[in-house]
Amino acid sequence: MKKFWRNANGRLKTGLIMTAIFLFIGFVIYYIPHVNPFFQNTYGRKLPPSGTHPLGTTSLGQDVMWLLIEAIHNSLTIGLIVATIGTVVGVLVGLVAGFSGGLTDRALMVVTDTFVVIPSLPILVLMTALMRGNSTVVLLALVLAMFAWAWPSRQIRSMALSMKERDFIQTAWFSGEGTMQVVVTEILPYALTWSLSNFMNATLSAIASESSLAVLGLSPGNLLSLGNMIQWARDRNAIFARQWYWIGSPIVATVLLFIGLFLLITGYNDYLQMKRGR
Amino acid sequence: MRKLVSLLLVLAMMLGVSAAFAAETTIVGTPRNETLIVETQIPTDTPGQFNSYMQGTSMGFGIHQLMSAMMWEMDTIKGEQFGEVAEGMPESNADFTEHIVKIRKGIKWSDGVDLTAKDVVFTMNMIRDTKGINASAYYNVVFKSIELVDDYTVKIVTNEPFPRLALRFGVTIWGNDLRIVPEHIYSKLDDVTTFKDSAPVVAGPYTVKAYDELGVWVLYERREDWQNSTVGVVTGKMPQAKYVLFKALGDDSTRQMLMISNQVDIMVEVTPEVLEVMKEQNPNIAAWYKDFPYATSDDPCSKGISFMMGKAPYNNKDFRWAISFALNFDETTMDIFDGVGRASALPILTATTAMQELYLKPLKEYMANLEIDLGDGTKAKAYDMDYAKRIGDKLRAEGRDIPTDEAALEDMFGIACYAYNPEAAEKLLVKAGLEKKDGKWFFEGQPFKINMSYLANTEHQAGRGLISAYNQLLKFGLDCNLVSESSATWDSNAALGNYEIGGYWPTGGITKDLYSVINGYDADLIVPIGERGSGQASRWNNERATEIIHELAKISPEDPKSYELGMEFVKVAIEDIPFIGFHSGVKFVPTNTTYWTNYPSAENAYNGPWWWWSCFKYITTEISPVSK
Amino acid sequence: MKFRKYFGLRLVTWALTILIGVTFIFFIPRMFPTDPVENMIGQIQNRSGQMDPTEMAALRRSLRLQFGLEGSLWEQYVNYLQKGLLRFDFGPSLMSFPTPAGEIIGTYLPYTLLLSLTSTLLAWVVGNIIGLLAGFRKDKRSSKVLEAIAICIYPIPYFLVALILQIVFAFILGWFPLQSTINSMGGLGAYLSSLLRASALPAASLLLVGTGWWIISMKSLSAATAEEDFVQYARFRGLSEGRIGTGYVMRNSILTQITALAMSLGGAFNGAIMTEIIFSYPGVGTLIQKAILQSDYNMILGCITISIVAIATATLIADLIYPFIDPRIRYS
Repeated sequence: MKKFWRNANGRLKTGLIMTAIFLFIGFVIYYIPHVNPFFQNTYGRKLPPSGTHPLGTTSLGQDVMWLLIEAIHNSLTIGLIVATIGTVVGVLVGLVAGFSGGLTDRALMVVTDTFVVIPSLPILVLMTALMRGNSTVVLLALVLAMFAWAWPSRQIRSMALSMKERDFIQTAWFSGEGTMQVVVTEILPYALTWSLSNFMNATLSAIASESSLAVLGLSPGNLLSLGNMIQWARDRNAIFARQWYWIGSPIVATVLLFIGLFLLITGYNDYLQMKRGR
Repeated sequence: MRKLVSLLLVLAMMLGVSAAFAAETTIVGTPRNETLIVETQIPTDTPGQFNSYMQGTSMGFGIHQLMSAMMWEMDTIKGEQFGEVAEGMPESNADFTEHIVKIRKGIKWSDGVDLTAKDVVFTMNMIRDTKGINASAYYNVVFKSIELVDDYTVKIVTNEPFPRLALRFGVTIWGNDLRIVPEHIYSKLDDVTTFKDSAPVVAGPYTVKAYDELGVWVLYERREDWQNSTVGVVTGKMPQAKYVLFKALGDDSTRQMLMISNQVDIMVEVTPEVLEVMKEQNPNIAAWYKDFPYATSDDPCSKGISFMMGKAPYNNKDFRWAISFALNFDETTMDIFDGVGRASALPILTATTAMQELYLKPLKEYMANLEIDLGDGTKAKAYDMDYAKRIGDKLRAEGRDIPTDEAALEDMFGIACYAYNPEAAEKLLVKAGLEKKDGKWFFEGQPFKINMSYLANTEHQAGRGLISAYNQLLKFGLDCNLVSESSATWDSNAALGNYEIGGYWPTGGITKDLYSVINGYDADLIVPIGERGSGQASRWNNERATEIIHELAKISPEDPKSYELGMEFVKVAIEDIPFIGFHSGVKFVPTNTTYWTNYPSAENAYNGPWWWWSCFKYITTEISPVSK
Repeated sequence: MKFRKYFGLRLVTWALTILIGVTFIFFIPRMFPTDPVENMIGQIQNRSGQMDPTEMAALRRSLRLQFGLEGSLWEQYVNYLQKGLLRFDFGPSLMSFPTPAGEIIGTYLPYTLLLSLTSTLLAWVVGNIIGLLAGFRKDKRSSKVLEAIAICIYPIPYFLVALILQIVFAFILGWFPLQSTINSMGGLGAYLSSLLRASALPAASLLLVGTGWWIISMKSLSAATAEEDFVQYARFRGLSEGRIGTGYVMRNSILTQITALAMSLGGAFNGAIMTEIIFSYPGVGTLIQKAILQSDYNMILGCITISIVAIATATLIADLIYPFIDPRIRYS
């Protein structure tokens, strides 16, 4: 760990710290008992920031800080579910395609390429518009995951193709290990390191997609996410009414979260490159 | 790099200069001070299509506001109809099967041809005989014959007694699907349903000057011979704007920025948050009232929560009263529009000014005394008669300028709201067959959960009301699920009965005769859940209400019995509570007095602020240029 | 010969991609319990009051037929493939019935293409030039600042950038119109100037975000290339830094960026949709949004089919150009 920290570049460090803060807010602070921030009229309306309400209250008498904390929690949850599904499916498809080759490879790659190429937003808009009546966090995450697996699977496939030729794989092969075993023991660990940056990227883009949908008014109405928080504030005209804490806090949080994740991704890639370079 | 930046700057400045130069003309090149710019809600996908009998024509894009010829129009202030193409109201025989309609003399089409009874007979027969026109089926059911008596007289024979000819085929709310077309043009068409009519010949005071091929705007020009148009003949007054530009404005942030920078004169409807910002930034912007409450409460569609009464326990009036008692209207009203709006604590009928005088005030005593049996031998008052005074005091304490006069308060906040009484609500839920165990409600042994749906993004008043109710029911202890719907699923779910509690607004009330508001609540129209019937989405099965509807169908709206039956219907509905009304339709309708003035307003109520209704043409004669 | 085989294979992939995409699009809306016919009848009822039950049944039947919803799902699908994919005939728009959906899309498509293609290409060019400079001279202060700016702008959600630009340049400064209104009536000059003014801000917001990404990726690519042996060798040979930059580093990094460009077209289309909606720019994005909200099946299908075909084709073209730029490629 210490060694890792010493070798880590500035970006990776900054990114790690920023992301860790968000994870802390979303998954630790979130569990401090509090009034459901969704409830309207819990507090006075449009209160300025104070000791009890560090970020003030909304036009509906909700506490902005707790709204924000819950929004961070939900957005991260969505991001993580999507990224997990996307990465797992992506790695599997990529490995299968890369190692089986031939027709299976061709077929899988055509499907993968389709999902890389087709524009996701209109399809997401279509699906959420149709199912919004019944949509929940998990369902929304599943829909978003539809577009999260294709890119990693492409990457993993090309990695698998190059690895197939490497010595240690060949050795394992010749020593009589089954394909499955080779994949699990030799390749998967390698692939996972590889896909970590994909994972973070998927988290980021899932959160971004959700907020795009929210701004179009298509995220579930009872889902308190960063995107919806921005949208609800916009709906009450918080931008022009200069309720900066209400509209500003989710925006600043989104941007910081994105910058943090992004630094983490590029920093991590540089770090890997440097490690490999040695 | 530096070169690039300076190049960009120069380019931007050039564009800026041309923008400043263009300020006194509109985007379409007409002089700004001769052009009245009116918002329309959505851009059209069928630009250049002005035929009202081809599907997909956006009537609200100025077409029915400026060009259409209606048989009877509405005086929205008095709540009375008057003849537009027709001369006066129809004269019917004793059993209302034969109707003589006189046609107004002097109206000419914009190509100079006289508008006569021939056009009326042709239009009505065309609708009846053309399958592709939506109203065709209905015309076949209603009309036996439509005949020409002479150039200015039409004789209409109906299959059944039809005492409400003008109410059904003239305008009451928004507009009507009977719009007279010129016989000398439309009779030559092969198929009226595919005729775009890009350069329409009309009887209204404006004609199309130009339109955007991308569907964002339409420019109308006043007819040279406006004296011969419907408005000219009816009022003798000239519409004052030479040009009227109808334009779609985009999302809320764009709309308000356009209005603040004087690029629009009239907007359809905004939220109070938007209005406040606009007023603060531009003193020329106002709404119906100059000061608080800004909005008019006279839109005849009250918003509230609607029950799908085709299944238990929603079909039980005790359950519905329980929901009513669980809701605190003082919170609801703050959540919706910060306290603005006239309470309309009624099912079906809306507390517009006219309806409040006609129906609600006479019922005041009755409402004050109405008690609901809670099932354990106790009773609770159904209504809270102190609402107006209480909310007035509260808002005054917030610094608003609120009158203290009782009549003014009643006009502003209504005569009563539903009482808030959580204890009564619990008792009634038990009476309705629900059980409370460990703080959770059960119905028929199952955990009880209410699905509450609302239409997202378009109807703020209804949506916010439902979200507020959702919040309050959760706090009360009922388990609820909030379902936001897009219009893709909203209509289907309503008609199929695929909801439990919804923010629907099956309400109305503009004329003294209530038949057109209530006839959809006929129990004979109820179909099973999952099937689409005609009317009755909420599937309210009330025997007496149905009888009243059937009786009303047979008598003339002028008959004094019509009012008595209407009153009885209101009482039946109040006791059975098929719908919980929050407010009447509250509309913030901004106008900008930078270029034009004398818009209808509370102080100058010559018409209602209904720019999107067909009566807008009678407003154009009054809106006058600001003299510079 | 080799090229022909490559070309043929690539064409097959192209066709398959489109087929899979549109199949997906065809079946999704049909899996959900919404029904455009019921919606349409609902709207007609709302407008014209009650309807006779027998007439309603007849109307329902004729609407189903006109909307292409008659017959089994498979028949509908085959019909859609034949008409929609081969002739771009998607049937009538359901909300603007009976105007064909294809005709309406045709009116708006050029505007979306103009907006998204120009801004994507411009962002790619500008971003790569800046990125190359920054990567090649990665120790210079200016390149660090540039990269930091890019990193801060890139992750900002599209709609925010769009909104900020709109407020600052259209509302406060008044340089550009608040709303993308295009004057299609006043002659060519007025048309072009209004088009330019209307597209400026939407394009700028796409550019800003797009450029950021290309700066970042090009910078890391060229920085990596600059460390490679053959570049070092060129330095020893005494070639000028400028020649090394263009001749060696750029030539080698740009190839990756061309593939990335092709892959990013779908994403660029997403951005264009958001931007169009915020600026109410008259394009396919706003059309899709409206169509989805009104469950106009044919229109949705038409818009997305055309966008899939367009993007797949653009990718194909990029892939076919690729061998001409990179002499090392083997057509496999």
